[in-house]
Formats: sequence, C-alpha cells, structure tokens
Amino acid sequence: MSEKNCQQPSVANETVGQFTDRRPLTLRVVLTNRWFLHGVSLTVFFLTWDFLAKSGILGGGSSALARPLEVLSQLDYLIDNQLAELSLWGHLWASTQRVLLGFTLAALMAVPLGLFMALNRYVNAIVKPLFDLLKPMPPISWISISILWFGIGEGSKVFIIIVGTFVPCLLNAYNGVRLVEPELYDVVRMLGGNRRDEILHVCFPASFPAIFAGLQISLSIAWTCVLAAELVSARSGLGYIIVQGMNLSQPAMVMGGMVVIAAAAFGTTMLVSALERKLCPWKRKIAGL
Amino acid sequence: MSAYQEINVQTPFALKVLPVVSVTVFFAFWQFVVTTGIVPETMLAAPTTVIKLFFVKLFEADPDGALLQEHAWVSIQEAFSGYFLSLLVGLPLGLAMGWFNVAEGLARPIFEIVRPIPPVAWIPLTIFWFGIGLPGKIFIIWIGGLVPCVINAYVGVKMTNPTLIQMARTYGASDWQIFRQLCIPSALPMVFGALQIALACCWTNLVAAELLAADSGLGFMITMGRRLALPEMVVLGMFMVGLTGAVIGLAIDQVEKRLLAGIRR
Repeated sequence: MSEKNCQQPSVANETVGQFTDRRPLTLRVVLTNRWFLHGVSLTVFFLTWDFLAKSGILGGGSSALARPLEVLSQLDYLIDNQLAELSLWGHLWASTQRVLLGFTLAALMAVPLGLFMALNRYVNAIVKPLFDLLKPMPPISWISISILWFGIGEGSKVFIIIVGTFVPCLLNAYNGVRLVEPELYDVVRMLGGNRRDEILHVCFPASFPAIFAGLQISLSIAWTCVLAAELVSARSGLGYIIVQGMNLSQPAMVMGGMVVIAAAAFGTTMLVSALERKLCPWKRKIAGL
Repeated sequence: MSAYQEINVQTPFALKVLPVVSVTVFFAFWQFVVTTGIVPETMLAAPTTVIKLFFVKLFEADPDGALLQEHAWVSIQEAFSGYFLSLLVGLPLGLAMGWFNVAEGLARPIFEIVRPIPPVAWIPLTIFWFGIGLPGKIFIIWIGGLVPCVINAYVGVKMTNPTLIQMARTYGASDWQIFRQLCIPSALPMVFGALQIALACCWTNLVAAELLAADSGLGFMITMGRRLALPEMVVLGMFMVGLTGAVIGLAIDQVEKRLLAGIRR
C-alpha cells in the first residue's frame, strides 16, 4: 500500500523510476491513504449538507436547501411523473439534443476554418480580426439578441451554443497548427515530402491534441449556454426543471436538475475523452484533472 | 545576442490591408443590411444607431433607470469582488492539492462533484439563499472563477520537473521547502494563465447572473433592451460587456508580463 510512490507522474521527458517499498501498516499510513481521505471528505460533505438543510441555517427556512435524500426522491418522482408533458429522461434528452446539435455544427465549421486560417495567412488576415472583435463578448450576452432573432424556440438555443463554442474550437485548432514544432516539418522536408505531405502527416496529427482540448472546453461552454438559454426561456430541458423548481420554490427540484446536468456534462466530457484516446493515443497525459 | 541572425521578412502589402478591409466590410455590411430593411429594425440595430445610443446613454438614465457608466461600474464591482475571492480561495487550494496528498485526498472528491455543474445552474439556489442582491451575484461569479483557478494551479504544481524535486530532496529540503521554493515558482506561469481564464469565466457568469436577477448592471441593460424591444440597447450592452472584458484582460496581461519577465518564454 504505497500510493504515494506509485503516483509519481512522468511529465517531463525523463523516465521517472518507480519503486514500491513495503511499509508497515501504521495508523499514519491509513490516515494518509488517498481512498480513506476521499471517503472522509465525502462523508463530511454529505453530512454537512444534510445538517445545513435540516437546521435551515441558510435563510428561508426549509425552502432554502433540500436534504440529499429529498433530492433523490424528487428525481425518482420526476422520472415517474411528467413535468410539462415530459419525464426526466425527456428533459434530459431535450437538453442533450440541443448541446449535441449546436456543438457538432460549431465544431464542423470552426475546426476546418481554424486549420485553414493557420495554413493560409491571407485567410487569417481576413478572418482573425472579426473573431478578435467577437471573442470578448460572452456567449450568454447573445441570448437576448438570439431571442429577438429566432424567438424562444429551438433555433435560439442552438444559435447560442454555436456562438459560444465556435471561438474556442477555432482558436484551438489555429493555435494547434501554429505551435507544431518546426523540427517535425524539417524531418518531413528532409525525407522529401512536399507541402501536401507536411499538412497531412505533420500539421493535422500534431494539432489533434490541441483540437481536442478546444472541443472539451467548448463542450463545457455548450452546457453552460444551453442552461442559461433554458433558464431565460424554455418549455423543456434541464434548465426548465431548474426554473420550475425556482418558481415553485422547491429546492429539491432545483438541486435535482443540477445533479442531472452535472452528470450529463460529465458523461459528454467522458465521451470526448474516449474519442480523443482513440484518435490520438500518443498524447502525453498530465496526471489528474 | 542570439545565435541566429534575424532576417527582415517583408510582409506583403495585402496582409496589412486585409484585416482593416474585413472589419470595414463587416460593419458596412451590417449597416447596409439594416438601413435597406433586409433585416427589420426590430431585430437588429444599425451600428450608427448603436453609437448614437452610446452617447445618449452617457447622460440619460431612461428607459432602464441608470446611466451607462453606472451599469458598467456595478458590473465591474461585482465581477472583481467575485474574481478576487475566487483567486484568494482557488489558487492556494489548487497549489496545495497539487503537492500535499492529504489536501488532495480531502478536497478532490468535493471538487469533482462541483466541477461539472455549470455555474449558471447555481443561480436559482443563490436567489433562494441571498436574494437578488450583490452577495448572490458575487457567489455565482466566485463559483465560476474557482474551477479554472484550482485546475490551473494544480496542473502547474504537477508539472514541476521531477528531477528538480528529486535534487531538492537529495539536498535535504523538507516537503514544505520544496513546495514553497520550487513548486510555487514553477507553477507561476500556469497560475497567471488561470488569471485570464478565470476572468473570462467570471465575466460570462456575471452576464448570466444579471440576465436572471438584477436591477442594474450591463447584463440587466441587455435584458431590458430585449424586454423593451430596443435592439440597439441589446447590441450596445453586448459591446460594452465585450469591451470592458477586453480592457480588463489587457490590463491583466500587462501585469503578467511585468511580473513574469524572466519565466515565460
């Protein structure tokens, strides 16, 4: 049991020797064990939550915070019963659908454009200033104008997601190509490759990790955007559940919505990570987080 | 100075002109589309209208109840309070999580629970807890800024060159000494990266918080623009948010350059 020694990450190019020593099982070893600490922190977290909810310290009496078990039973209730003609799964699917649609559209447009910008300076000179102009505007500030344009239907939500995810996808693809190590080009040129070989065999593969980093960032932005849009105006989706909870002053419903959205965001992130491992297995992983 | 001789490469004339042209064309197209009525005025305001409203709003509080600079000032206050609080909590936490196993073991699970929840989702709960006043908004901004701070500080410490750590150990440095004199300096570039990312997050969340619950601020101005069907006010609000965010970002960038002159490549 020597978690500490096995966890040495080999981040730099040096190989870090791994060794395991046998330590006697003392109290100190148990107390500093990673899983023990995780257990302690989770227990304390949930107990504190339960205590706060029960005692109603956080203002507003019992309506301010729901106990963990109440949240679970509320979720169970939402699965069995319908809210605005949809069960919990229906709302989950409504949100996920918007995220996937907007995210896919944005990625399909932004990544090729980013690559193109990095490969051709004229394209870059035309497109870059426009994005520098649009970049500092938070995507959420587009909600109002998109409601003016597309009404409160699906269109405005997908539009906000596209606006929010476009820029990080584009910039990461762009920087990914620009920051490719020049030695790699030299190698291809020395082996007799032409411009096409450089692009196909160096640029694209070498920029994959950056592109995927951009996709991950975009995905979390997409969830934020869809939630914000649904909070402002929607008839379905997880944001709608949260707003309903707020209007009915039912914290259990609000927190249930938060739990489900956290799970969904986590799930899609895992999906992209899996795809990334499949497509660029050479990427060095920095331990954790 | 360097081993390589610097070669002056002439930038083609077109490359210097094209950015100006593209921005000009963008605004001209926008103006054209609105003035000719292809896009109705109820949906989009022409740039000239927006600029006019900008000057009007500097002196006139109607119809949303406050001057432009008052809105901006409220927003900046909120954003900075939340931002500094998140730096104050997030950076030490992330640094400690990166080096001390006990800190990581205790904080990691809770952090992993909070991390995937979009900060926007906290808005209803904060309204329950704090009402729609300043503390609630600061709380949301704080949560939004916290996550990038922790992640960057953590990764920064984890990326410390292990050879250096082993060397320090060989010379008999204690855990605390290594943390203070080796890990923190080597994490600094990542920490400064966090300043920028957290600022962007805070600014986004600020707008979200003000869209839902506020009575002043730039986000509130945008919402009022939509409610009153005044697209020029919406666009002006968006531009002001973008502009303020960009200015603060540039300021932080300058500070970073001063402080990290030797470290960052």
